[in-house]
Amino acid sequence: MQDKITRLFKAIADPTRRDIFHALIIATSALSITQISNQFDISRQGVTKHIKTLEKAGLVEIDSIGRERFCNAKVEPLKEVDKWLKFYSQFWGNSLDNLENYLNKKDV
Amino acid sequence: MNDRIIKEALFNHPIDKVWNAISKSEEISTWFIKADFKAEKGYKYTFTAEPNEKGCTIISGEVKNASPYILIYTWMVADTSVETTVKWKLETTDEGTKLYLEHSGISNYAGETAVAMFESFNGGWENCINGLTGYLKETVHAG
Repeated sequence: MQDKITRLFKAIADPTRRDIFHALIIATSALSITQISNQFDISRQGVTKHIKTLEKAGLVEIDSIGRERFCNAKVEPLKEVDKWLKFYSQFWGNSLDNLENYLNKKDV
Repeated sequence: MNDRIIKEALFNHPIDKVWNAISKSEEISTWFIKADFKAEKGYKYTFTAEPNEKGCTIISGEVKNASPYILIYTWMVADTSVETTVKWKLETTDEGTKLYLEHSGISNYAGETAVAMFESFNGGWENCINGLTGYLKETVHAG
């Protein structure tokens, strides 16, 4: 749904969330909420909030093991962003062609 | 690749002619999208794309800058809450007019990881060139 991409854009619009996501991408294994909050010097609550937003956007998957939650990055939803970029590139390319045709036809 | 689309074009036409084409409702409506638009800072414009079976796609936003020959407006599609920015800049050249178009904020995603990820995706979107409404329809079905 359209909501899906809205959540994704919201999730990656925030620089801290981008940093957290980046850390999860480059981590060799899943990171716990504790590990993330140590790495970023943000409170557990703060990290949990960011992680939830990333999870809603489908960018993070959470596994609960015992009392700790482990986070894995998922890159799949970013395909949506790529679609928009590709779409707009095509869209503006076509539009500028239309503009040129229009200018060529129009008398000053 | 990053989060903005940049296009440049050279037109063998005077700068004011190109400026009018991109900034006047009547002209925008002819070559681009049916427009209610004024090149005045603060003006809240609407573009209405060709209707299809799902209804019309409305693009709306606010003019942020409209001093010849720079035109900047925000760009929001339909009921999404994603605000992006479209900037047009014109320059006189020996042969006519150089147009610079920048659509930014598309992902707000920056950094090498993003570049690597974007480049690894091929998307299969090259075939979908049916305009904005076609794209949005596709997204709804995919969701």
